[in-house]
Amino acid sequence: MVSFQPYVNPIYFLYLIAFLIPIIIGILNGKRFRVYETIISLLFICLIFGGPKLHEGFNLILYIIFEVLMIGLYMRYRSKHNQTWVFVVAVLLAISPLSIVKITPAINNGIPSIIGFLGISYLTFKAVQMIMESRDGSIKKFDLMLTLQFLLFFPTISSGPIDRYRRFVKDYQNVPSQEKYLEMLQKGIFYIFQGFLYKFLLAYLFGTVLLPPIAHAALQHGGMSWALVGYMYTYSMDLFFDFAGYSLFAVGISYFMGIETPMNFNKPFISHNIKDFWNRWHMTLSFWFRDYVYMRLVFFMMKHKLIKSRITTAIVGYFALFLLMGFWHGVTWYYIAYGLFHAIAIVINDTWLRFKKKHKGSIPSNKLTEIFAIFITFNVVCLSFLIFSGFLDKLFFS
Amino acid sequence: MGLKKKLFMIIGPVILAIILIVVILLAPVKYNFSSAKTEEKAAVSQSKNILGGSVIRQQALEDGYVPFIGSSEYSRMDSMHPSVLAKKYNRSYRPFLMGTGGTQSLTHYFDLQGIKDQIKNKKAVFIVSPQWFVPGGVSKQAFNMFYSPLQTTEWLLSANAKTESDQYAAKRFIALMSDGGNESILKAMQKIADGESLSGTDTNIFRMKLTILQHEDELFSGFSVPNRMQLIDRQTRNLPAKYDLATLDVLAGRFGAKGTTNNDFGIQNSYWTDRHLDGKGKFAGKQAKLNYDRSVEFSDFQLVLNQFSKEHTNVLFIIPPVNKRWSEYTGLSAEMLKNNATKITEQLKSQGFDHVADFSKRGNEKYFMADTIHLGWKGWVAVDRYVNPFLTQKQAKPDYHMDDYYYSKDWQQE
Repeated sequence: MVSFQPYVNPIYFLYLIAFLIPIIIGILNGKRFRVYETIISLLFICLIFGGPKLHEGFNLILYIIFEVLMIGLYMRYRSKHNQTWVFVVAVLLAISPLSIVKITPAINNGIPSIIGFLGISYLTFKAVQMIMESRDGSIKKFDLMLTLQFLLFFPTISSGPIDRYRRFVKDYQNVPSQEKYLEMLQKGIFYIFQGFLYKFLLAYLFGTVLLPPIAHAALQHGGMSWALVGYMYTYSMDLFFDFAGYSLFAVGISYFMGIETPMNFNKPFISHNIKDFWNRWHMTLSFWFRDYVYMRLVFFMMKHKLIKSRITTAIVGYFALFLLMGFWHGVTWYYIAYGLFHAIAIVINDTWLRFKKKHKGSIPSNKLTEIFAIFITFNVVCLSFLIFSGFLDKLFFS
Repeated sequence: MGLKKKLFMIIGPVILAIILIVVILLAPVKYNFSSAKTEEKAAVSQSKNILGGSVIRQQALEDGYVPFIGSSEYSRMDSMHPSVLAKKYNRSYRPFLMGTGGTQSLTHYFDLQGIKDQIKNKKAVFIVSPQWFVPGGVSKQAFNMFYSPLQTTEWLLSANAKTESDQYAAKRFIALMSDGGNESILKAMQKIADGESLSGTDTNIFRMKLTILQHEDELFSGFSVPNRMQLIDRQTRNLPAKYDLATLDVLAGRFGAKGTTNNDFGIQNSYWTDRHLDGKGKFAGKQAKLNYDRSVEFSDFQLVLNQFSKEHTNVLFIIPPVNKRWSEYTGLSAEMLKNNATKITEQLKSQGFDHVADFSKRGNEKYFMADTIHLGWKGWVAVDRYVNPFLTQKQAKPDYHMDDYYYSKDWQQE
């Protein structure tokens, strides 16, 4: 049996479009063929996790059973009680499979955990989000079918964007009007073609054509070199166009299915500062961390008066957020360094913004300073991606 | 606007795009964008895309370029390099370098499939490195790096499952292709390895794929060809206006002396430092166990010879030496090197390949090698002593008589 890495092969798109046509015709006529949709979803999940990756498929099934059980049990509990420790235990249990997958290679000579599968991180974000929102009382009723549809929505299963349960369900339970759906189709096609440009042309250019010789030159030279600088920018471009291209595919295909999966990128390289950058880069991930880690932590610290100063509270929040994000990428020094780097950058950025606010009259602000801000931000971001790439590890430690 | 019209406005361009792609990729025409400039660049680029493609090489060979087949020695572009000499002295031929680090007999066997018609009854130069003949022959990684679906498909369509040589080639391909390779190609290879011909359906599908791959080659392989023309031009400026081998040899010695000042082995300075060869005794005796005289490569090499014989190509073979001072230091066996050269020569001469320049005993000559294993200054002059007359003068028609014995384990292990 064949197995597909989603959105990598042109054939994948042909299959996808062929199977989506009935869904498209249905929605155009104001109907959702939910059974058909479910069958197609399962079929594509089988394609992604079948053949040589069958063990990943089994892991996915076990994982889904486990997470749905956690969500269901917690919601059932939450409908009657609301004790903090139960909530904490539920969240910890929900993230435990992901933790095992992330920690195993770090303590076991790089050998991946046997329970892992493609996309476990993104499913965990969705599951944890549901538990947290049940605690808030925003999600009130457990619905097995909707939960499964949300978790296993196949266009985004492998690498996001990370949707929100309530937003997803609203789309899923409704059928968009014909006018609205035509607009979605149009956008979907545009996104997919933009994705082709990003992933198959630009990411290919940066990642496959330019990057290997630059990497080779940098390794040959060793230590600091111009080639290393070149590597930093080229890798950054590759990272962006590859991931943004993939995300555009996922969003485009979602639109075809009448689901407005949120966008992941919004011109990140024209960010004016680091905070702005995180509102534009891998948005569904950074918003997830903002809403479910940062805000909650800051709120908790304020409520319990753990730290008096609001500034210190924010700093602690940032470090927690970015360190956790670093660990999430993988338990290696460079992902954690990447997290710390961004935490420090955003704290410096905050300090500067406060300073600027205080001295409003005396600091110039015009087109030129704006360009300067974009330039600085861009370079700081690229430097962080160089850390993230793990290339320094190869260069200095092996 | 009605629904149908709206829908058409949205989907129309996509359908148009798909039709355009299908037409462009399947049209029975030949796109030709290559110019004299592209050919000149491609001839010295040693680029993987050029070697793995066909159209630019075909065009160039038709315009007077001659295949110079080999591996990494062609990257040593000093003033005596064949491409530099041919340009400076305005020879009637220009080398088209085919080969770079990692290309060995089997890769060349497949890349020759793309230029069969162009080498028919023509000449070629082939530098066959002793280092190819390690027991396992070409590494999986190197073979896959230069794998060309275009040439493989071309080979499949002309393969004759009844011949020992094609069965052998298919077996080698299967053994070397990494997992996840193209399934339909692997299946077809298996058929040929088993002595079965491809079915009509197989052939039709591969024909269609070949058209797509050819168009891909025609449209895209001319992009991003590395430009080394300035490097070549710069090197021509170091040469005297009048061609004289003795003068060139003296000059080569002078360049060599200037370029090898940081070590006692006659190794180019940059090579010496880049590869950290000075590591205190790190390399002493390290090559004592290397073996180049029993190898599957001898049979892979036979495939190449077989192709030349089929096309009646007249080929000058060059067997380069290794740097003697270095090989004595690393303990590389002189006996084994001798066996390697003897075996290659025997395989060539016994089948009618008479043009063999065996330099294997000249590794002790100063500045013959640019480094440990690659021809340099004086070595290139020695090459030109053979290449120039071979390519510029009329040669007798070769008379080849191929022997399948060279595909056997017996020969590989002799």
